[in-house]
Amino acid sequence: MLTVRNLTTHYGPVQALKNVSLHVGKGEIVCLIGANGAGKSTLMFTIMGVVRPSQGEILFEDEPIQGLEPPAIVSRGISLVPEGRQIFYPLTVEENLELGAYQRFKREPKESVLADLESVYELFPRLRERRKQLAGTLSGGEQQMLAIGRAFMARPKLLMLDEPSLGLAPKLVDSILQAIKTLNEKGLTILLVEQNARKALELAHRGYVLETGRIILQGRTEDLAADEDVRRAYLGKDYQKFTD
Amino acid sequence: MEIENKVEYLSPEGWRQWHLELLQSTLNRVYSRVPFYRKLMDEKGLKPEDVTDLSALKKLPFTTREHLEKNYPYDLFAVPLRDIVRLHTFPGPRTPIVKGFTRRDLASIRRLTARFLVTSGVTSEDIVQICLDPGMSIWIEELKEGAEEVGASVIPPDPQSVTNRIRIMRDFRTSVLVTTPSYALYLAHFMQEKGISPPESLRLIVFVGEGIEAPERLRLEKALGVDTRLGYGVTEAVGPGMGYECEEREGYHLAADYFLAEIIDPETGEDVKEGETGELVITTLTVKANPLIRFRTGDLCRFLPGTCPCGRTTPRISQIVGHSDGRVSIRGIKVSLSYIETLLEETYGHVPEYLLCIRRRNYLEELELWVAMNEKLFEPSILGLHRIAEKFEKTFEETFGLPCRLKLVEKDHLLQVAKGQKIIRI
Repeated sequence: MLTVRNLTTHYGPVQALKNVSLHVGKGEIVCLIGANGAGKSTLMFTIMGVVRPSQGEILFEDEPIQGLEPPAIVSRGISLVPEGRQIFYPLTVEENLELGAYQRFKREPKESVLADLESVYELFPRLRERRKQLAGTLSGGEQQMLAIGRAFMARPKLLMLDEPSLGLAPKLVDSILQAIKTLNEKGLTILLVEQNARKALELAHRGYVLETGRIILQGRTEDLAADEDVRRAYLGKDYQKFTD
Repeated sequence: MEIENKVEYLSPEGWRQWHLELLQSTLNRVYSRVPFYRKLMDEKGLKPEDVTDLSALKKLPFTTREHLEKNYPYDLFAVPLRDIVRLHTFPGPRTPIVKGFTRRDLASIRRLTARFLVTSGVTSEDIVQICLDPGMSIWIEELKEGAEEVGASVIPPDPQSVTNRIRIMRDFRTSVLVTTPSYALYLAHFMQEKGISPPESLRLIVFVGEGIEAPERLRLEKALGVDTRLGYGVTEAVGPGMGYECEEREGYHLAADYFLAEIIDPETGEDVKEGETGELVITTLTVKANPLIRFRTGDLCRFLPGTCPCGRTTPRISQIVGHSDGRVSIRGIKVSLSYIETLLEETYGHVPEYLLCIRRRNYLEELELWVAMNEKLFEPSILGLHRIAEKFEKTFEETFGLPCRLKLVEKDHLLQVAKGQKIIRI
């Protein structure tokens, strides 16, 4: 579904991604793990068209999408749940969700948007309870649910999530990840960036390990979970010594 | 047991992406972690980032067995030593060659070996008996684990007489035999000679370590009433199961998800023309402890044209027709002439004219090293000469787990028999 080839991205003189190649097959959950600053978010932003790559190809359903503006990429079927949720605090929960479907109102009957809204409420009953509440008053976990729900409202084929568990209590992390799994079981393809490597590896089918802008390892998640490098990275023990 | 093998049916585009991703991450790892490869790549002015296409592989330098030796013991590891959970060693001409495995390497080889065995027809219902010489200890280990992964019951090659092996085969109803073609031929001959009928339970022989010619294979299948399959592997690279026959039995399907294969002209290092015979070169894609870039296997073969009717899209190679690097396979064990020369040098202080004779006695290959007598060899007593020869034989057997008789012959006779060759089969 998504194929990335030789992607290189610069922030000024700093090379944030170095020749990154990866793919996400239809129906898969693929996770990207790596330390802070490894380039995970940059990769997401580059796929989304927020950051322009200096080299490489991004193919979505066999069509090149590099160079397209973010709205065009969203309408092709990719949605991003950004790190830190980035929801609209002064708007209500429902308004936030409707904004997620912004591009669809022009070309689709309202009913189909409302049906998806219903699906979001089914997935996260808490959001239904708080539909008229201002997003800024939600707890961290609820805000994350809202961010996922909002991305889902664009009816993506590929949902990319950047650190969905960041700053959440362990119990909430589980329920967010469970929701991602449910979405996947309903047919949504997922690319997940997660610092909580253990959780990500439990959830995903395959994974890539990004280190200072390069992919150094990939494979089935059970192999990665058993991999010494990954274990060190995950445990945070003397990781620096072996990778730099 | 179901084996995950969807990858074997990937589209050409799918393979391109698969290989590119794994090649790039392998190069990222070796460049940052293996000084030997970093140096080689720096010398060529190459950075991992320059590999944006599979054709860039051709710019990368080769790795030879000599490199493996020179970098003994630790210098080719791409992981810290404490991540290595198994170390195998095998003989090199001057120093041992070492191969390390991380936990992940072992798991991935186990899966590959299981896939090889399942493709060959092994099931969880089978009783798999492995009959290989101790010199193939790495493979014994890997085949045993692969068969266990399939869920079969395994009888590893504990030291036993042939009679006892046949008895065990009968008593435990062995259904699959994993062995070399030469041992299978020997076994068939032995049974015939002793008037023993082949065990009824035996239905399949999986050959490893060496190839077999079609008429001989057919004869063996008839004599033992079994089906046969062939497997191919390179110990230094990945292990057994790097290539295996499917039900079509038309060459080895390479496990292209584990490595990249090229066939080059051993003289020029350039790709051979399509379908021509050359040396197989392997770049590992999934190995963590000891990744190898463009490793020259020394094995001569050719790519088979077209796609296989079985539907697998992996490349296929022919059987190995020879070795380009002065190695020879005896009962699946690879013996190199450079090792023999080093040993002769140690024994006599120089390398006399020699000839390696591979004799087939009752289908079992035996080794004899003929050494041409010269004035430098002379000892004051015949006993002294024998002692020196015995020392050579002892070291050889210790190293390869295979006996080799040293025979002193007249130089003229040796030259006459050798006809310019260093190895002959009798």
